[in-house]
Amino acid sequence: MTPAIEMKGITKDFASTRVRANDHVDFSVEPGEVHALVGENGAGKTTLMSILYGLIKPDSGEIFIDSQKIRIDHPNDAIQHGIGMVHQHFKLVPSFTVAQNILLGMEPTQAGLLNQQQENELVAALAEKYNLPVDPTARVRDLPVGMQQRVEILKVLERKAKILILDEPTAVLTPQEVNELVTVIRGLSRLGYTVIFITHKLVEVMSVADRVSVMRGGKMIGTKKVSETSIPELARMMVGREVLLRVKKKEMQRGDVVLEARDISISDVNGLAAISHVSFQVHRGEIVGIAGVSGNGQTELVEAISGMNSLDGGEILFKGKIIDEASVGERRDMGMAHIPEDRMVVGLNLQTTLDENLIVSRYDDSQFSRYGFLLMKTISEFAEKVVRAFSIAAARPGEGIATLSGGNLQKVVVGRELSGDPAFIIANQPTRGLDVGSIEFVHKTLVEERDKGAGILLVSVELDEVMALSDRILVLYRGRIQGELDAATATEEEVGILMAGGNLQDLKYAQRADQQELRS
Amino acid sequence: MEGLFSVFTVELLNSGIRLATPILLAALGGAICNQAGVLNLALESKMLLGAFVGILAAYYLGNSYGGLLVAMVAGGLLGLLFAFLYHKYKVDLVILAIAFNLIIVELTVFVMRALFGNVGSWSDPSIVRIPDIEIPFIKDIPLLGPILSGYNIIVYFSWFAVIVMFIYLYRMPGGRHLRAVGENKSAAETVGINAILLQTLALVVSGALAALGGAFLSIGHLKLFTRNMSNGRGWIAIAAAMFGVNHPVGVFLASLFFGFADAFSVRVQNVTELPPNLVKLLPNVATLLVLIIIALRTKVALSMARRRFRAQLRAEEAAKPAEEPV
Repeated sequence: MTPAIEMKGITKDFASTRVRANDHVDFSVEPGEVHALVGENGAGKTTLMSILYGLIKPDSGEIFIDSQKIRIDHPNDAIQHGIGMVHQHFKLVPSFTVAQNILLGMEPTQAGLLNQQQENELVAALAEKYNLPVDPTARVRDLPVGMQQRVEILKVLERKAKILILDEPTAVLTPQEVNELVTVIRGLSRLGYTVIFITHKLVEVMSVADRVSVMRGGKMIGTKKVSETSIPELARMMVGREVLLRVKKKEMQRGDVVLEARDISISDVNGLAAISHVSFQVHRGEIVGIAGVSGNGQTELVEAISGMNSLDGGEILFKGKIIDEASVGERRDMGMAHIPEDRMVVGLNLQTTLDENLIVSRYDDSQFSRYGFLLMKTISEFAEKVVRAFSIAAARPGEGIATLSGGNLQKVVVGRELSGDPAFIIANQPTRGLDVGSIEFVHKTLVEERDKGAGILLVSVELDEVMALSDRILVLYRGRIQGELDAATATEEEVGILMAGGNLQDLKYAQRADQQELRS
Repeated sequence: MEGLFSVFTVELLNSGIRLATPILLAALGGAICNQAGVLNLALESKMLLGAFVGILAAYYLGNSYGGLLVAMVAGGLLGLLFAFLYHKYKVDLVILAIAFNLIIVELTVFVMRALFGNVGSWSDPSIVRIPDIEIPFIKDIPLLGPILSGYNIIVYFSWFAVIVMFIYLYRMPGGRHLRAVGENKSAAETVGINAILLQTLALVVSGALAALGGAFLSIGHLKLFTRNMSNGRGWIAIAAAMFGVNHPVGVFLASLFFGFADAFSVRVQNVTELPPNLVKLLPNVATLLVLIIIALRTKVALSMARRRFRAQLRAEEAAKPAEEPV
């Protein structure tokens, strides 16, 4: 069979960063297959696909479609050759309707004027054809992320693409939405579409792909049939060494309550409840995981506990004291640490040096400053210590941090937050956007803190992460705690049901019905 | 008291509409730039350029309508220069705007002095003010007739521009693409929309409209050019574009508001004995108030929402007093 796409000897150097992002990469995809492209961040998979889609020009190499050599200089060329891309960050216009987004740039007109009615009908027919129901008149900004992704897929299909590139499509989805997407991809593959699926989640590779190609450090490491490989083998190929996929945890040594939320409520921007009557406790020496689809009150909860926003109802106790009025600084002085969700904007100042970033939470400590002057020597010694303790590669005291990779930046944040022996840590999405190696490090470090006796509140939309690290799991749904599970016995299915707003009773009934069906 | 009421006359409406026209034209230009995602803070200098080039061309061509056209072309070219520097050399639009706002004031004075030897202001008896036109039939409608008719062509054109811009932005593919570029440029570009072209278009149109607004001052309203003639109207236009949420109809209403504030202050000076310096401040105070409202809108909405939520919580609490804590 002739390959649908063949890329040969693709090489791309980025002059600005002196990085060879693609080094003589060969890549080929069979027609009608689902092909996963995996690799760590910076492995070059997005660069390779951007070259295929005409967003980046390669320095050398050739591209063939159905054995014909072609040039792709612009996304328009790619679209013309039947290649469509669903980007990781959706390319949608939030204030436009679904129909307006799908038909953007190819609107039908009558005498030069748009016809909303006709557009809606066109999109409804398209959705029906591919069995991907959407409301053409809904505004995209009001849609859940899974729906927005469906709009993106329809947009690509409307442009007559036969080859779909999906760039990390599951990163933002709930488990239910991931399952739906897998069904959609399978369906498209049956209709004869070729799907390239970029990801670094190996579980998904196993469940959806026919073949998988692994990249590392800009090179193509190899291509395997999914039926002939395994997750540990793929992880080894990705990282280049053995990886601990599951964190080893000791038995929990549960101590006193360190943080308690009592019936707290927080308003969102519209005066509706972002958090509604939530109560929970975190003990020393345990990790409490907050699971939930993003946007169910996690941000508000974290802001209230860390002191960045005020409560509207209830109270928060830290080490037995009510801290509703305490500022962020006062809470930190009491032993609270916060690994924020967004390391680029909230977590770090990319314009300044490593040293300053490491002491920014404690610069007026007598250890680091005297009479209003910073003790530069002590600070840089301290920075050196942190760099060694947290093995922050490529970072030197006194130098800027803007060029560090995502994993190393996160190590800077983690290093700062954990170097003061905190009693309580809020870790909000601590591994978002990190690759397997860095995730392993962050997880290991958090578990070590727990074993040293810190209470940890882990907020994450990654189900795997919550399941792997937590001792107890609370599921947040629409600002309420939908359920509490013991992490040792909880199943992915149970957490998923709660995340979608269901309850465990439903699941039991469903299982019983299944069993009865089997028996009869 | 009687003096104050005599302020409200048909003449006040007429002069409000006239004074709103330069603001409306520039504000439409600002709005289309905002919709296309290119901040245009240089409306002031584009107006001033239009006022100067307009009267100059009217003088040399011996035709004031010709003056209007030349002014629009000059404004459009300045917009094109902005687009070129922005897209080709990635010059920051705010810095560009500041530079031009500073340069054009002095450049007009310099050229005026070089050509005519005047420093503060210049006029020539041969220059004809753009004549007012009575619209047949409409002028005979009782009440509305005198309000809608009797202006020069620039005023009618500005109303026409509101309608055309509305149809373009909300009923035609090009306008929809332009709004898509303004809201999410990469979304528009990945479907093959030429964002650079549309942003250039917005800057050119905005330059031409602002310049026409400026020409209205020098040959439509008066027949005279003075140093810094636009006198902050370009900045008021930016406020009007924001106040009208960048929608042509909203911008129209916002500009009328500013025009009436202006006309009102002129009338009050004539019929009352309030200190003129104080009354002259009125349009500026109105602008300030509008800007404060724009700035506080989200903040106030947020704190109101929060207050509502807390009240609701307290109400819930009060509704279940007897319940024992579990």
